[in-house]
Amino acid sequence: MTPIERFAALAAGGRLDRLPCVPIVGNTAARVIGVRTAEIRGSGGLLARAHAAAYRRFGYDVVRVFTDLYVQAEAMGAKVRVPEDETAYLHEPAVVDPHDVDHLKPADPGKDGCLPAHCEALARVVDDLGGEAVVTAAVTGPFTNASFLVGAETLARLALREPEIVRQLCEISLETALRWADAIMDAGGSPSITDPMLSSTVVSPRQFREFGLPYLERLVTHIRGRGKSVTLHICGKTRPVWTLMADTGADCLSIDNEASLAEAKAAVGRRVRLMGNVPPVAVLLESEPAGVREAVRTCVREGGDNPRGLVVATGCSLPTETPFANIDAMVRAVDEIGWPPHLTGASA
Amino acid sequence: MSQEEVSLLSRLSDAVLAMDEAETVRLSQELLAQKIDAGRGIEAGLVDGMRRAGDLFEREEYFIPELLICSDAMYAGLRVLQPHLPSGVAERKKGIVVIGVVEGDTHDIGKNLVKIMLETAGFEVVDLGRDVPPAIFVERAESAGAHIIGLSTLMTTTMGAMSEVIRLLDEKQARSRIKVMVGGGPVSQQFANRIGADGYAANASAAVAVATRLRQAPVESRVP
Repeated sequence: MTPIERFAALAAGGRLDRLPCVPIVGNTAARVIGVRTAEIRGSGGLLARAHAAAYRRFGYDVVRVFTDLYVQAEAMGAKVRVPEDETAYLHEPAVVDPHDVDHLKPADPGKDGCLPAHCEALARVVDDLGGEAVVTAAVTGPFTNASFLVGAETLARLALREPEIVRQLCEISLETALRWADAIMDAGGSPSITDPMLSSTVVSPRQFREFGLPYLERLVTHIRGRGKSVTLHICGKTRPVWTLMADTGADCLSIDNEASLAEAKAAVGRRVRLMGNVPPVAVLLESEPAGVREAVRTCVREGGDNPRGLVVATGCSLPTETPFANIDAMVRAVDEIGWPPHLTGASA
Repeated sequence: MSQEEVSLLSRLSDAVLAMDEAETVRLSQELLAQKIDAGRGIEAGLVDGMRRAGDLFEREEYFIPELLICSDAMYAGLRVLQPHLPSGVAERKKGIVVIGVVEGDTHDIGKNLVKIMLETAGFEVVDLGRDVPPAIFVERAESAGAHIIGLSTLMTTTMGAMSEVIRLLDEKQARSRIKVMVGGGPVSQQFANRIGADGYAANASAAVAVATRLRQAPVESRVP
């Protein structure tokens, strides 16, 4: 089966050859074609080549054209540092004084920052692999993007002191996200949403309801309106907000290894597909193929019988230097389990 | 302690917990006007309120925004009370911690929370900020006479910088004088063991316990 066939069968509740498997490869893709991470960030051609090569090398199910979460905020004026061979990081938010929010403009994916390069990369990958693989690009959620516009700590304080400014920041970030999602879909890809600042490690369920849900709902509705299914990923703890995450209308919730797949299944498994949650650092980066296999089996034991299906994925993006052998082992372990994905009893 | 004093101190603690900065400042001033000891106001009022906020954070009733606003209130009260401490009393320090986010990362909320909780617990904290090169940690720890270096990152990509700090300390044979504790999203006890850190803390409250333990541990018997 091709990845597209697998996802179609999973959605229809049909038979698969194995569960879809998504080690969330980001800058590791640069390693596959032997270039530096800074090179793929700004070049549509290299970014496409890296991710297509990684897909072919590892045989997973979703190609995610992704380098870091800052591309939208950068296109709105945030300063991003791009080390030669490490993941980019936020250097300065777009505005120093949050009251300057009026000066911010939504990004234009056709010309701002490295959005055009990422769009080009996506179009190339779709051209190359679109017939068989699910090709996605990351959309940073409005609340998280807002944190890059004013700084995370400032945003956290504003959430209690001046919620109106937070809403303005989310609104303008939503506009950027909608435009970026449209550009991704115009290029033939699927937007997948990541909103880590909405984690219950950071904000309360009440704040999620206030600053997350309304904007995510509009974003998800827009994307689904164009016929695409939506995955929503939030890092860290999320148990208190699983219901709210499902309320956004997302088809699939991607959860971190700090959250329990078994509990998520019990809470929202009848409403949404689940994706997760093999530990990216402790297992994929630091363990060995045997440890990866064991972690995959634990994951499938907990979530393999999720009513709306499971995508075996890592709990978060993989560190750049993740050993290839461990990524291979993850796909192999899912292959080995095959179908139906029901594991019972003690580990084999 | 008079009934009145007890009531004032508990109202001060409540004001911090309730994130009420103006009330915290007002009560701190009232406390001084009533000639109540400023040190007791800090301990049984401000710090007590912040500790309770930390407990609520542990129990997932408070989250990062609440904890930050509580700390704003606590620090506002401290600015009122601290000048009235008799000299010498301020030296109740449990130890000196140099803290920062490692190079390649600018996520500093976690680090700031650890700083707040360490200060609340009586540590002196030298904050190097974010995106700090390994050599600077070592340099500043030595010049401050620090007992502990606290390293934080939220990025899997920058964890290597943590082992570099330890390597530099080894090189200077400073590991017995300066302990290293690590924390942050992707960091684990396993990782801490692997790079030879002295301690790992999963969150800001745990950081206080780890720092306290590191200050008590005899130099010779480093915890494996």
